[in-house]
Amino acid sequence: MSDASQETDSPGYGLLGLAGAGVLAALVAIFIYVPTEKTEGVVQRIMYFHVPSAWIAFFAFFIVFLCSILFLWKKEREWDIYAHASAEVGILFCTLVLITGPLWAKPIWGVWWVWDARLTSTLVLWLIYVAYLMLRAQSEPGSTGARYAAVIGIVGFLDIPLIHFSVLWWRTFHPDPKFITSQGLGAGNDLSMNITLMIALGAFTLLYFLLMSLRVQLERMKDEIDRIKKERLYSH
Amino acid sequence: MSGYLRQVKAIIWKDFITELKTRELFSSMFVFALLVMLIFIFSINLSLVKANQVGPGVLWVAILFAGTLGLNRSFALEKENGCLQGLMLAPVDRSAIFFGKMLSNLIFLSIMEAFLLPVFMIFFNVEVWSHLGPLVAVLLMGTIGFSALGTLLSSLSSNLKTREIMLPILLYPLMVPVVIAAVRLTGQILDGKSLADMMNWVGLILCFDIIYIGVSIMTIDHILEE
Repeated sequence: MSDASQETDSPGYGLLGLAGAGVLAALVAIFIYVPTEKTEGVVQRIMYFHVPSAWIAFFAFFIVFLCSILFLWKKEREWDIYAHASAEVGILFCTLVLITGPLWAKPIWGVWWVWDARLTSTLVLWLIYVAYLMLRAQSEPGSTGARYAAVIGIVGFLDIPLIHFSVLWWRTFHPDPKFITSQGLGAGNDLSMNITLMIALGAFTLLYFLLMSLRVQLERMKDEIDRIKKERLYSH
Repeated sequence: MSGYLRQVKAIIWKDFITELKTRELFSSMFVFALLVMLIFIFSINLSLVKANQVGPGVLWVAILFAGTLGLNRSFALEKENGCLQGLMLAPVDRSAIFFGKMLSNLIFLSIMEAFLLPVFMIFFNVEVWSHLGPLVAVLLMGTIGFSALGTLLSSLSSNLKTREIMLPILLYPLMVPVVIAAVRLTGQILDGKSLADMMNWVGLILCFDIIYIGVSIMTIDHILEE
């Protein structure tokens, strides 16, 4: 038994410490370092949660896409675990985007929600990956469910540009991205704001990898338990 | 290649014969589409809004909902008596099975739309005949995308415990681009604009069609396995 527990990776304490320090630094930068924005006031600080969450959500779904392709190609359980974990973490960050968005919009635009391109596409994206996780919950464990999930992981990600353009031509109110503009990186913002955003982004990225490694570990433990259960079952 | 086409044709023909014998799919789809339209007409006040503005949306929602019924039946039928097993044992390519099922879904949906369009014209009091050409083109493009992605997801969801629920949950968010584009195009056409003014939307639907037919061919081997 002790061998089995040593087989799974040791909990990434290094990563935990790194992510903890990152989040701490981000909090200090967001609430102490960066000056309050002139027109929007204190509520603008929510941007440092909103924007990195959105980036990480997209990144996570991209990882789902890559791991899904790799799974269908190599048929290794490892890629399935990564895709599953990344989808769950991605949903978490996507949910954060959808919660912080209306909180920010209400005082600034005066409404919780507008049917704008970015908001709509984020909502559709959230629905796609919720469906992906539901499919995983519905299908029996084993390679069949994993294959189905991988197909949805691929199909879902390929839909993102199409959804983006369709809702973009449909209507747009959301301010253009401030950080990446045609004038170059960070031209739309003050320097201290860009620094804070970068710190927040770094912290969220570390948080993503931390959550990923925890989730992957959990899934491996599940496999291990299943394996041991089967062994015990047939040995008696 | 002619052998491949013959295989696809055989699968379509098989679906047709089943449908001609039972006549349950088409009638249920059409009546369901009518009911969806009716419910929408009750829920919107047609004296307040222009029929040209809400009509296209209602038409496409009816097509989508009724089409989902058809897609659910499409592979559920194959599950009965192990028909799918037989199809997979047959010496045909998996993509031929996909194309056969997709085309039969496409044909059933198109027939239903052909019946639905006159009803739509009467209920919403819109002029359809003068724009028939572009309208049919838009209906066809949208329906190709719907049946391509729908057939892929139906082949997948038919193996789940809750297939009737999971198919729409998986399908509708993915169909968002086609729905928006098709509703937009249909509305503009009914307003008398030509398709040439809206090539970006046409391109979007065609992109969707091509991407999902391509993805289906590449992934159908992994779904129809065992």
